[in-house]
Amino acid sequence: MRPIKQNVISTAVIATVGLPFVVLMIWSFSNRWFYPELWPRQWGFRAWDYVFGTAGFQIMAALVQSVLVAVVTALISVAIGIPAGRALGLYEFKGKDLISVILTLPVIVPPLCVAMGLHLWFIKLGVASTFLGVVLVHLTFCLPYSVFVLWGVFSNYNPDYEGQARSLGVSSWKVIVRVMLPLTFPGIVVAALFSFLLSWSQYLSTLIIGGGRVTTLPILLFALMGSGDRPVAAAVSIVFVAPAFVALAFSARYLGGKSIAGIR
Amino acid sequence: MNPEPSKASTILTGTDARTRESTSLSTTGVLVAPALLVVVVLFGGGLVLGLIQSLAHFPAADPDRLTFEHFANVLSDPDFLRSLTLTLYVSTTSTAIAAVLSIMLALVLISLSVKYRFVHFIFQIPLTVPHLVIAVAVVFMLSPTGFFSRLALKFGLIDSSASFPLLINDRRGIGIILAYVWKEIPFITLMILSVLRNTGVELLEVGRTLKAGPWQRFRYITLPTISPSLGAACLIVFAYTFGAFEIPFLLGQTYPMMLPVWAYKNYSDVDLLARPEGIATGIIIAGVIIVAIVLSQTLIQAARRRGAVS
Amino acid sequence: MGDLILKNLTIHYGGEPVVNDFNLEVRNGEMVSLLGPSGAGKTTVLKAVAGLIKPSKGEIFIDGQPVNNLAAEKRSAVMVFQKTLLFPFLNVEQNIAFGLRMQGHKDADARRRIEQILQLTELTGLGRRKVHQLSGGQQQRVSLARALVLKPAVLLLDEPLSNLDANLRQQMRELIQDIQAETRITTLFVTHDQAEALMISHRVCLLLNGRLRQTGKPRELFYLPADPEVARFFGGCNFIQGRVKDGVFRSEFANVPAPQANGNGHLRTATIRPEDILLSPDANYGLHGKIAKTNFEGSATRIWVNCRENRFVVLTSDNDYTPGQKVRIHLPPDKIRIFPCETESV
Repeated sequence: MRPIKQNVISTAVIATVGLPFVVLMIWSFSNRWFYPELWPRQWGFRAWDYVFGTAGFQIMAALVQSVLVAVVTALISVAIGIPAGRALGLYEFKGKDLISVILTLPVIVPPLCVAMGLHLWFIKLGVASTFLGVVLVHLTFCLPYSVFVLWGVFSNYNPDYEGQARSLGVSSWKVIVRVMLPLTFPGIVVAALFSFLLSWSQYLSTLIIGGGRVTTLPILLFALMGSGDRPVAAAVSIVFVAPAFVALAFSARYLGGKSIAGIR
Repeated sequence: MNPEPSKASTILTGTDARTRESTSLSTTGVLVAPALLVVVVLFGGGLVLGLIQSLAHFPAADPDRLTFEHFANVLSDPDFLRSLTLTLYVSTTSTAIAAVLSIMLALVLISLSVKYRFVHFIFQIPLTVPHLVIAVAVVFMLSPTGFFSRLALKFGLIDSSASFPLLINDRRGIGIILAYVWKEIPFITLMILSVLRNTGVELLEVGRTLKAGPWQRFRYITLPTISPSLGAACLIVFAYTFGAFEIPFLLGQTYPMMLPVWAYKNYSDVDLLARPEGIATGIIIAGVIIVAIVLSQTLIQAARRRGAVS
Repeated sequence: MGDLILKNLTIHYGGEPVVNDFNLEVRNGEMVSLLGPSGAGKTTVLKAVAGLIKPSKGEIFIDGQPVNNLAAEKRSAVMVFQKTLLFPFLNVEQNIAFGLRMQGHKDADARRRIEQILQLTELTGLGRRKVHQLSGGQQQRVSLARALVLKPAVLLLDEPLSNLDANLRQQMRELIQDIQAETRITTLFVTHDQAEALMISHRVCLLLNGRLRQTGKPRELFYLPADPEVARFFGGCNFIQGRVKDGVFRSEFANVPAPQANGNGHLRTATIRPEDILLSPDANYGLHGKIAKTNFEGSATRIWVNCRENRFVVLTSDNDYTPGQKVRIHLPPDKIRIFPCETESV
């Protein structure tokens, strides 16, 4: 393909992907910007000051809440996902296809359906409107995700390293810690990152199960959009999307593009 | 040599962790059980409980007597039909547009020279961006006072914000479709790329030596090669957009609303009687999606059997 | 049917010249093999003839017509790849019919041709089978049929047998030979297996390091190698040195009448094949030697004999020799091949 064509296409891709972010960026740094101006009349940090300052303590609270929920969800996902991913990746056994389907469903069936069904039960159990309830409902989607990633990781994992270590006299526990974990670490981090991301982006499930008591960043963002304060909404959007870039960069570096398609 | 391994560590390392041999079902069972348990209890439980609630008399929730009245109410509600039609239309259109653009993008990406490797990274960004963020950006870009409206005014295409065509909260769901297309193209493209990378290029050489011109190669070699994966990807995207909530919630109009939004509105209605109907709608949505996903899985198995996908 | 002429072909791949100044002529109806170790550039030549790669320099003529600017789809040359690369979404018949379909032949005539080809490649009755239901040999035959049905002027085969196991390979070799004899299609055949090349080609063309070393009938390359490297490729390993004077090649191991050789007294190298050296435990003629090592190889025994600071490798069906044994060794002059070029350095 001729260089001109490649240039045009690359530019088109970059422009299409980047335009939304550019728009958000500009809005977040605008103090006064009215229709029909193409550029903000006055640039400034008002929105950012608000987000990170004391006036916007709600925002910081929501941010912290989002982080906590997502981190806990990710940790549990990975803890349960590692043995499952290991079994699926290393061994052949009947029912693997069935398990694959069972694990795919929660990833695709929208949180809407599941959250509505779980809500009543959670109320009875007393976990509705609590941190734990939200984590549990997020786990429903994040766990299968991380199992898939770890399945892929362990498919490429060579268990002979462990056999080698054991034949050299290393005890089983040490083998896990000193051999398996380091070798699969990048994959585990990717699984954790994507679980984190999925939980981080949840809106409706948090809304339904959280019942307004557990306020995460997306819930706040929605409210902000309603308030009409575009710069702050833009700034919060940027904060909201930041972990996504981190996850993408990390997985691109350690696993290549293939794993991203496997997700989802 | 080895100290007696503790039970837990045996379980974790398995008794025969060498090649991909079958090991005892109990070993793999223990490893996979926790994950399966969580999924079955939480996800399966959520669906089953939702089903029960939608089949139960309200407000007594008497498990012994089931009723289909909630489903009947939903299915006979003209609003349901309008929402369903709208949602089907939006999902199908988004999937179709994304598919066509993805095919073009995949073909381009595969023949990009090494210098442009970074494009492979960039085009995947939308995959991880939360729906809300792109929805917000779409509002800022396509609302009557948004970025494109200002551009149009600047270039004299319109004379006021009122004459900017309605692209969000509109009848045709244009903003929604655009947001979905933006988010879903990378997914479909990646699925196509993985097939093309496996066998695509070599088969094209065979096509060339067997006297097939460029368009013939695309139609008779590339398309059949990517079809199963493309079909599976489209079904997944269709299912995903069918049940998604955030984008229609922000970018959709108030009437008729997209099905997931309608379901939620019923569920959270002040009128408690609407709740089971919301849940019933949710079950219907889940049903449609499960059917689509099962279909897509069979397509993927077919592709694997053909050897087109690794 | 036509002939194939390659003139001064130079092909670059990633900046490096893979094939340099390559010249070859394949006559109408001939089967010529391009022989050489893996990576010597043979496949590249094939792809250039097929039109899949553009050469940096040189010309290609198919049936007298220059094809340099002709796209692969328009050339009357079809390539069969090393991997069978059958279309997994088509059955056997559809695979074979593919090229015809691309050219617009869909009628009864096409059907007839397909039936003929199925017979020729021993695939009758398998038309409806799916690709993944075929054995390796069957897939290979479909791949061949797919190319043959187009009746190209030139058929290009890229190591079509190297993915098959030994028995199958032999059967396929014979099949290819029979098909080529019957259809008389001009064929260029790439292989790294020298036995194969010697077995089925009309002529062999040896490529080492991107350069053509020798072209000729199989016997010529085997018995009259052009230089030591060519000899070594075919398993020759006995080299002696001497000088030509007055029409005779003289070395300490043998004297060979060499009327054509240039008799200016410079150093020349000669070779003799292991199976041509005569060994005897108790003859009363020949040179004195001592056995260094023996290796039983089945149909022959390989024996290393030390003789006057030189070590000869002898291949004989006689396996009564033991290391350390004293023997008489004789190099029959008519089996000694003197290399045409002078020896610059050994």
